[in-house]
Amino acid sequence: MGALAIKNVTKNFGDTHILKGIDIEIESGQFLILVGPSGCGKSTLMNIIAGLESPSTGEVHIGGRMVNNVAPKDRDIAMVFQSYALYPTMNVRQNIAFGMETRGVPKKEQDEIIARVAKMLQMDHLLDRKPSQLSGGQRQRVAMGRALARDPILFLFDEPLSNLDAKLRVEMRTEIKQLHHRLKTTIVYVTHDQIEAMTLGDKIAVMKDGVIQQFGSPQDIYEQPANLFVASFIGSPSMNFIPCHLAEQNGALGVSLQSEGEARFIALPQAAKLVGAVGKKVILGIRPEQFDVVIDSGDSLACKVHLTEPTGPDTMVLTQLNGVEVCARLHPRDAKGPGETVRLQPDVSKAVLFDAETEARLA
Amino acid sequence: MSNPTQSAHYGFAERWLPRLVLAPSFLLTIFFVYGFIAWNGYLSFTSSRLLPNFEWAGIVQYQALFASERWWVAVKNLFIFGGLFIGGAMAVGIFLAILLDQKIRAEGALRTIYLYPMALSFIVTGTAWKWMLNPGLGLEKLMHDWGFANFTFDWLVNTDMSIYTVVIAAMWQSSGFVMALFLAGLRGIDESIIKAAQIDGASLPRIYWKIILPALRPVFFSTLMILCHIAIKSFDLVMALTGGGPGFASDVPATFMYSMAFTRGQTGLGAASATMMLMTVAAIVVPYLYSELRGNRNA
Repeated sequence: MGALAIKNVTKNFGDTHILKGIDIEIESGQFLILVGPSGCGKSTLMNIIAGLESPSTGEVHIGGRMVNNVAPKDRDIAMVFQSYALYPTMNVRQNIAFGMETRGVPKKEQDEIIARVAKMLQMDHLLDRKPSQLSGGQRQRVAMGRALARDPILFLFDEPLSNLDAKLRVEMRTEIKQLHHRLKTTIVYVTHDQIEAMTLGDKIAVMKDGVIQQFGSPQDIYEQPANLFVASFIGSPSMNFIPCHLAEQNGALGVSLQSEGEARFIALPQAAKLVGAVGKKVILGIRPEQFDVVIDSGDSLACKVHLTEPTGPDTMVLTQLNGVEVCARLHPRDAKGPGETVRLQPDVSKAVLFDAETEARLA
Repeated sequence: MSNPTQSAHYGFAERWLPRLVLAPSFLLTIFFVYGFIAWNGYLSFTSSRLLPNFEWAGIVQYQALFASERWWVAVKNLFIFGGLFIGGAMAVGIFLAILLDQKIRAEGALRTIYLYPMALSFIVTGTAWKWMLNPGLGLEKLMHDWGFANFTFDWLVNTDMSIYTVVIAAMWQSSGFVMALFLAGLRGIDESIIKAAQIDGASLPRIYWKIILPALRPVFFSTLMILCHIAIKSFDLVMALTGGGPGFASDVPATFMYSMAFTRGQTGLGAASATMMLMTVAAIVVPYLYSELRGNRNA
């Protein structure tokens, strides 16, 4: 059995169902991300794994052991909190040592562990400072050090980077990933930030309303989203969702797209999966980078640019297709200014289709 | 700017208006607080009896004060009362706050109930406790009526114990207030700190003792300050509960000062005891204010 297995876990508070049957299993050494909007139950699930809350039904296994009735301290886990949760009256050294003292680790061994952890996280010079004398990034580091000192079989990170400023967040993200590569421990990481989810995870569980919408590798989730929610949540800028009707024309299944200038029927290569859905309302999902600028008319549409958002390497161009705002990620060289027209060709081979009513994926 | 007279006029108002507004209260405070403190201080160096007499008499009143057995009883009582009241109210208050902090139901109602005694005046508290502790009227009579004929609880009329009844009543009155202060402090503690300590394996008592209470140090000191000055100023509770009696067994400096200055015609002696009380309060408050103000400047 893997490092962590969650079997049909539910959590109810009275009539409120926070978790509705969660099943997750990961192998030892994997980096699991729980991602979702606030209120999706990811933090509750984290607390259940940590033992800070107990599940209403279902089982949690850590390292092959059923831990439903095991206290947090005996689960061999360590946790890093969003607010760092450093003990305010203790200095960094005492913060790291507190758990070891409680577990009765000999003083000499404690000192060795503190020295090792401090060296690993480059915070030797901070050991005698109080948390209030540290910057946000340093506090984060200390919180991680405290977790590392435990040397657990499972690390839990509860939105550890949310309180940091943007630049530091990117640096710490890299650092966490490097740490994981070095230590090869199993990590469960809760975040609402889809970029963190994509960059860090071996496995991502996208959650919404107490249900896992999709569980898979980052690339899977990006390219093969299970439903409209997953597709909209992962990726920035978000995937474009264009409402259309599935139709048949000259023996090919496709949809008709209409820009302000012209309308065009676009055949879809995923036709085999769509046969039953002809005539239905569907939503065509195209990522911003799946638009190309072309000169000839081919399958392309003349689109009027409403707004451009240059980011440096790419320029986001906002235009309209089938009456909804559509964002295309273009090379700055190809982008036109607002009011001008650009010919865009959607790369439908990677496009996905959703049922407009159930929001489930069709193809 | 363009109109120099207008801006000069504006500057004048800006400079003088705050001073004008503050002047009456400033003058009143100078006269009625500091003026009378000084006057009292001067009186303590005269031989005033029933009426003030402004002839300098040196430190005779202080000599009389320090030779008075009643004064030393009052001082001893203040230490007994102050120590037990502050320690007791603090311990009970912190304990109640920790219990109320366990996410219990009806917390708001309970908090109000515990805080309510603070809304009563010390006179009401003193009178109510006087009835309850009166051997012929309250607890002792109740136990006798229930058939426990040998039960005695006569602290109120016992020379050695009467000061402790004041401690009981004062603790009853102030514990809820201490609880409210500490509860507010406990609410300010990040909940994930407790979670982290749980994962670190600390038991709940250890979490409170090693992590949470040390973090409440500022609350602890503010509460200590408030309780200290309640204890030193304590007058009405003693007057209502024991009247300083039996005899002068439960006198505290404030009641001593009152009886000397206003009922026994020893104005000079009363003034000297009042000066001693002022010095005691100053000895506690001045270092505190100093450290607070200096702390603020650094922050």
